[in-house]
Amino acid sequence: MLNGVCFSCKMDLSSRNILWRIVALIVGGIFIYAGVIKAMDPVAFANDIDNYKILPWPLAVRLAFYLPWLEMLCGLALLLRSFYRGGLFILTGLVSIFIIASVVAKARGLDITCGCFGHASKNWNFSGHLALDLAIFAALIALWISSPRQQQEL
Amino acid sequence: MKASAVRQALLLIALAFVPAIGEAIYFRDKVSWQSPIPASELVTVDQARSWGDNVIWVDARADNEFERDHIPGAILLNEDRWNELLPHFLGQWSPERKIIVYCSAQSCNASREVAKRLRDEAQLKNVFVLDGGWEEWLKDKR
Amino acid sequence: MNTNFSRLIGVLALAALVQSARAELKWEQTSVDLRPAFNDKQAVAHFKYENVGNTPVHFKSVHASCGCTTAQTQNEQVAPGQKGEITAIFNIGGRTGTQVKTVTVQTDDPERSSIVLTLKAVITPLLEFQPTLVYWQNGEEPKPKIITAKANKDAAIKKLDVSSSTPDFTAKVDAGSAPNEFRISVQPRDTTKAVYATLTIKPDSPANTGNMFSAAARVMPSAPASKSTLSTIRHDLATPAATAASPSQ
Repeated sequence: MLNGVCFSCKMDLSSRNILWRIVALIVGGIFIYAGVIKAMDPVAFANDIDNYKILPWPLAVRLAFYLPWLEMLCGLALLLRSFYRGGLFILTGLVSIFIIASVVAKARGLDITCGCFGHASKNWNFSGHLALDLAIFAALIALWISSPRQQQEL
Repeated sequence: MKASAVRQALLLIALAFVPAIGEAIYFRDKVSWQSPIPASELVTVDQARSWGDNVIWVDARADNEFERDHIPGAILLNEDRWNELLPHFLGQWSPERKIIVYCSAQSCNASREVAKRLRDEAQLKNVFVLDGGWEEWLKDKR
Repeated sequence: MNTNFSRLIGVLALAALVQSARAELKWEQTSVDLRPAFNDKQAVAHFKYENVGNTPVHFKSVHASCGCTTAQTQNEQVAPGQKGEITAIFNIGGRTGTQVKTVTVQTDDPERSSIVLTLKAVITPLLEFQPTLVYWQNGEEPKPKIITAKANKDAAIKKLDVSSSTPDFTAKVDAGSAPNEFRISVQPRDTTKAVYATLTIKPDSPANTGNMFSAAARVMPSAPASKSTLSTIRHDLATPAATAASPSQ
């Protein structure tokens, strides 16, 4: 079966696959949104990364320019089902690193605003954020497991 | 097969560099690449010196203290004569320069008050307060 | 037996005497809230004290937290039963909003050798401007920019006179969106050369005692200010005012 940019193929798929498609759409949309928010204000994002006090500033600021675009591209990969597993792979990695960094920062007593949804999420609390991130992480793992391995490369 | 996922991932990673570098070029003058702009309003004397000529010094102390001695080039702007002194300062200011307000020492509040008013009333950006004040400046004076 | 007993009485009496030889300064209030009127140049707080002990109290120092506040005690030495006050005079200057100033008093009272007196003043100015500076970049379209003036509602200001120190800027005043609000519209003639002007704003209020307020308008220089640009700015500052008064309606 051909995957890829083939929306007319939906007719052939079972309702289970449609469910996964919807999940992929939602998760992809979340990452595109998150990426756009962060790309609009790279300096604010650089400060948010710096707040974790894990990376030196010069690295944090360069990452602040790069990461949002990676997020957007991977989100797009989920949406368009192009480079799908590659996108899932990266996003899973990003979310894991992020969850670990948040927990470490919290343990160190650092007061961080998440920065994952840019300054839009400034007022959320730690547990709310963590819950959302774990949910996204679970969704990504689920999508990974449910995606067919014999995918045609695009 | 995991290999294809990794290859796709590497391609995405490489692809993301293109817009990222484009954005970095667009923002190149608006970002401090080497050291962070202080998250709080405080700057140390050393940090202030590293900014070189790009600084406007604002003295928030009383008139007589300013007259006795002040940081070279500093403009007097205290709350006693705020309405008189403010227009003169605003005439000297320009958006590219960083403003550093100081008063006598760490403990005095005047510099923070003046800095806050410059941000709130005149809507100026890049307003900072000298950590340690005039006292700290004297220590480092060469 | 007798001598031991009388010695004991003597010691107890001495102890009792030493115990009761206390100095004590009682304060009517250690924190005073003031609401000076917009015309006031000073806010004065009276901190009344009374020596309710039986030895005199001596003021070692009376020291205010800032140079803007002076504090004095009525008497250096307070005899038992004597009353007095520490007067704190806060020079408001150009300050606005809630101002908290403290006076630290040192005495020789062993119980309370240091007392902090607090003066809290809420200052509502006659006029507040937002922002106090409007500026245009060199070459920017010379569209008018607005300074919003908020007047103290107790001042009953009907009209604002705005004049620019140079004719390079024109200023117009209109009523604002809320009562006691005015919109000052400032516009440069052109934005090709660097100009600086002080805008002098005179409120027309029966209660006003010749108060004048200033805001600033500028066209920024195109390159870092050269010596000639600075001398142009200095010249503008010296030029006599060109009036551009308008009614507020």
